[in-house]
Amino acid sequence: MDKDMSIAKTLNLEGLLCPIPVVKLSNAVKGIGVGEVIEATATDPGVMMDIPAWCKSTGNDLISLDKEDGIFRFVVCRVN
Amino acid sequence: MSITRTALEEVEKRFNRLIGTSATNLCTHCGWCVESCHVYLSTLNPELSPVAKTERVRRVLKRSHDWLSKLVPFWTGAADLTESELDKWVELAYKYCTLCERCVINCPMAVETPQIMGAIRGTLTSIKKSPEILDQLTGAEIAREDGLDMMREIFREHIVDLEKEVQEKLNNPSAKIPIEEEAEILYVPLSGVHTIIPPAVIFNYVGASWTLSMFESSNYAMFLGDIPRAKQIVNRILKEAERLNVKEIVLSECGHAYAAFRWEAPKWFGEPLKFKVSSILEVMDDYLETGVLTFDSSQNGEAITYHDPCNIGRKGGIFEEPRRIINVISSNYREMYPSREQNFCCGGGGGLVANTDWQDYRIETGKVKADQIRETRAKKVLTSCDNCLHQIQEISEYYDLNVEVSNVSQWAISALTIT
Ligand code: SF4
Ligand code: SF4
Repeated sequence: MDKDMSIAKTLNLEGLLCPIPVVKLSNAVKGIGVGEVIEATATDPGVMMDIPAWCKSTGNDLISLDKEDGIFRFVVCRVN
Repeated sequence: MSITRTALEEVEKRFNRLIGTSATNLCTHCGWCVESCHVYLSTLNPELSPVAKTERVRRVLKRSHDWLSKLVPFWTGAADLTESELDKWVELAYKYCTLCERCVINCPMAVETPQIMGAIRGTLTSIKKSPEILDQLTGAEIAREDGLDMMREIFREHIVDLEKEVQEKLNNPSAKIPIEEEAEILYVPLSGVHTIIPPAVIFNYVGASWTLSMFESSNYAMFLGDIPRAKQIVNRILKEAERLNVKEIVLSECGHAYAAFRWEAPKWFGEPLKFKVSSILEVMDDYLETGVLTFDSSQNGEAITYHDPCNIGRKGGIFEEPRRIINVISSNYREMYPSREQNFCCGGGGGLVANTDWQDYRIETGKVKADQIRETRAKKVLTSCDNCLHQIQEISEYYDLNVEVSNVSQWAISALTIT
């Protein structure tokens, strides 16, 4: 992720089972401006499939998706 | 063409003989259905009773189909479809009806309220008035197929970690989660890991010939009444089953996935599916009967109850299988009242769980289920559907039920006898 890219919103989705992380991400993205970025953490490994698929279908940018110590961290930029 | 005109044409396309008759002629306004609906019972709002909900659609249909209503609409209560009425239909079909079918089995005329609401959902989808989140979730399911090569890589990475958990659980380093291998069973999970690990443990335990699907069994297009996309979602799994030469498709504990494969898909495709389709519940029950699956029941005296998901139970007829599994493990099973075909919807069905805009209302209409659970005094609630699982977890918190909630397979694997 670009170091200059500032996070407009953070979202804690830990403990939520899929597809609820996608539902909450979708709502949160509506609350940021186009070009702004959201960072979220989740624990259900299902996000590894669901978040890229959601970004692909809605046209939003998945900037990164990493896993560390059982926590999935992803960064999404609102495109439209 | 005006949006109301287009909507009316779309309604007409969807009203076959069964729905059309139900919608226009069958109802005698006897009121038997009113107290069968959890939405009415939780809100006590007569406008949310099944008969009142269908009446809103009926008066529009009567305007074009009933000769008296064509001549003197004010006399029969018929009304033209307006844009503001279309906006009300969004709530009517998506918020105020979970398509649970409890009213149908309690109606002496078998008026198909959920079929009518399903047709309205499809109409609203075709004019782009359906809830956006259901459309997005449908799009995400389809994107999984479109980007299969990228997804395959992510999926394999994902499965390696899960396989380790299965091996630990079974104390068996050679336990596997096979992907895209020829086998007898194609197991189709949801994306949540709680729908992958328990069946993987069970299949490894009994030594089944199985493989994990690249896709998920859920089908949000069904909630939208969007048949072309619903078919597309099912079809990718059928193609996968064909490619892998499987004999049986086994579905995760998911109510609407069961409905999609068991009775909707054969209608959509106009022919029976080439594969046997089962729920993991049915498969577990078979394994129990043949003796390959064994449980240690000595630790399970905790009070436990089971919620029949509407699609699995009332519509799908799976009542005894979960109870047989639970009763082998638990010595303190408590039946909810009413249950089986008369069980109440949890309040989160029909895609409502995914719609956070209506969350407060959804929790409000979970009151009937919360009361049922409280009466059992159970400490644990089992179910067999992810929608129900999410909803019961939320109502447990809101209504202070203090119960643990899980799917049957998730709970059962903790009682496996492992040597
Ligand atoms: S029970 Fe059936 S016939 Fe009676 S009011 Fe309800 S829908 Fe109409
Ligand atoms: S299908 Fe269920 S939610 Fe819909 S009107 Fe009938 S009882 Fe109520």
